Parts: sequence; structure tokens; C-alpha cells
Amino acid sequence: MATKQGIHKSRGGLIRSFVTSENGIIKDITISGDFFMFPEEALFIILEQLKGTPANHTALRKNIEETYKKENIQSPGTSPSDFAESIMKALEG
Amino acid sequence: MEEWRFIDFGLVDIRDMMAMDEAILKGDGGNTFFFWTPKKSIILGFFQKADVELNLARCEGYTITRRISGGGIAFSDDRCRQINYGVVGTIDNELFPLDIIESYKQICGVLIDTLVHYDLNAAFRPINDVVVDNKKISGNAQTRWEGKLLQNGTLLLDFDIEEMLRISNIPEEKFLDKKIASIREGLTWLDRELGEERDMEEVKDIIKQKFEERFMVGLKPGTLSKKEKMLTKNLLPKYYSHEWTYR
Repeated sequence: MATKQGIHKSRGGLIRSFVTSENGIIKDITISGDFFMFPEEALFIILEQLKGTPANHTALRKNIEETYKKENIQSPGTSPSDFAESIMKALEG
Repeated sequence: MEEWRFIDFGLVDIRDMMAMDEAILKGDGGNTFFFWTPKKSIILGFFQKADVELNLARCEGYTITRRISGGGIAFSDDRCRQINYGVVGTIDNELFPLDIIESYKQICGVLIDTLVHYDLNAAFRPINDVVVDNKKISGNAQTRWEGKLLQNGTLLLDFDIEEMLRISNIPEEKFLDKKIASIREGLTWLDRELGEERDMEEVKDIIKQKFEERFMVGLKPGTLSKKEKMLTKNLLPKYYSHEWTYR
């Protein structure tokens, strides 16, 4: 399984995703970027929750939105859809 | 008039400074405004990976650590002509608004007032920049903890932009080529804008005065409390660790 990289620029900053997937399912994701998120540690929860998610934009976005609600996340200028977009760019290589 | 604490840490090792920064946020010193000038260094934003964002082979001689707030790399060259500041305040919806962008705007207002004092066309550019004629002159980063906020930022007096590009890992993607051009053309610093070098202490005095005016407080010189010193001591190993910086 190769790790693929995707880059997406949101209004709040650049999101670089490193994604491994197998049979259309997310195995692992790491993210590097200059965006903001409050609380910061919530990004690790988002990434953990994404493991096992079908590798398509809607499923990714919905999964991230759920964690946003649960963890009361704010990220000015960056939305769950922006993270999904960055991850999809990695998957589409 | 209400008095808030003021500390000038002077020229510092950023690992020590980031430990004190976090200690002030989590300490018992009340609302505080502070300055420091970083030695040759790179501070990564909370979400940035060192090997992704930096060309590490070219970073020899730089002290690298990570901060607890998001945002991008804070790069300091050996010219040491940057004024870095920190604000710790209780979020109260008046002086420090709950709304994140509003609170950035309020604190960045101190830098804007300072630049306007020098007759420069300064403005806030959401989310977290201060610009002069639409060129970035100050980057700012905020985090929050238990009803308080910590904002750090820098005002560039001089800046080695080519050196910053040299140590950065700029992606090769086409649309990011444009980004390199926009970094070069999109940044400025006070010496360039004024066409002369200003004394750093003079600029700090103006910032301090503008802070007092904007927040309607008096800044009283102080030091770290006993609790903050203890917290700093406990936090130092993190900021010096490989695990934290290169995670």
C-alpha cells in the first residue's frame, strides 16, 4: 500500500494529506498544514475516526462533520469539506 | 485604570520562550502582554510536519520547535529584527471576543495602530494577517484554553525572504509555483516600507502605547509568577524533545 499525497488550499490555510487506502477503504491518514483548529487536539480524533471510511468525498465529509459536532470544533476558513477535498486529491493521485 | 502585566523577554531561545508562552496561558498571572525576539529559529505550527514543510537538510544552524497554536512556520533569521509579541487574556466578548476572527482583529488592531502611527496603509486581512498595501507584514496565531486566549505574532522590521524560501519545502505542484511568486511579492517589512532602519526599542514603545490605548489599560512591568516558573520548568522537556518537534 503506497501512501499518496494530496494538497488543497482552503481560505484558512493549506492542507496536505498523506493517505493509504485498500479496496476503497481508508487505512491511514496524516495531515500537515498551516490552518487553524480549535481545539487543536481534535485533529487527531478526526484522523482516527476516518480509518475504515469509504474513500469518497461524501462519506469523508460526513464522517468529519460528525466529529466536528461531537468535539465542538471550530476552524475559521477551513471546513470538513476542505479536508475531504484534500484527502480525495491524494486518493485520485 | 486597570493594570495588566507586561514582560519583555528580550533575545531568547524559542524553546524556552514557547515553554514560558504556554505557562503564561495556563498560569495564574492574569492578563499579560509580552515581547520577545527569537534567535535564529523556526517554529512550526501545531499541525505542520517538519519533514513536509521544511527542507531539513538546509536547516542546519536553526533551532526548531513546535508551538501549541496552528498556522504556518514562524521563521527568524540571524538578523534578529523581528518583534514578537504574546497576549494572554480572559475571553470576555468585549476586549477579547469569543468569535475567533473578531478576537484576531482586536489584537491585530494594536499592530495596525502602530503602523498607522508611521503613516503606513495598514489593514487586517482575515484570518490572521496584518498587511501594508496588501503585503503581509505580520503573521499571528491564536490558541485557547479554559476561557483564555493566547495570541502570538510577529512584526517584521527586516526579513531575509530568500533564506526563508531556501529552507522551506515548497511543493512542486503547478499552482504552487504561483505561490512562490506570491510569497516573494506578498511580504514586506518595516525597514523597507519606511526606507530606513528604526530602533527596535522605539517601535516596541509605540506598540506598547497603542496596546494600552486600545485595551484602555496600563501595562505594568512584571515577572513570571512562582506557578508559571514551575509550569515552565515542567514544559521545557517537551519543547526540547525530538518527539514534539518531529512528530
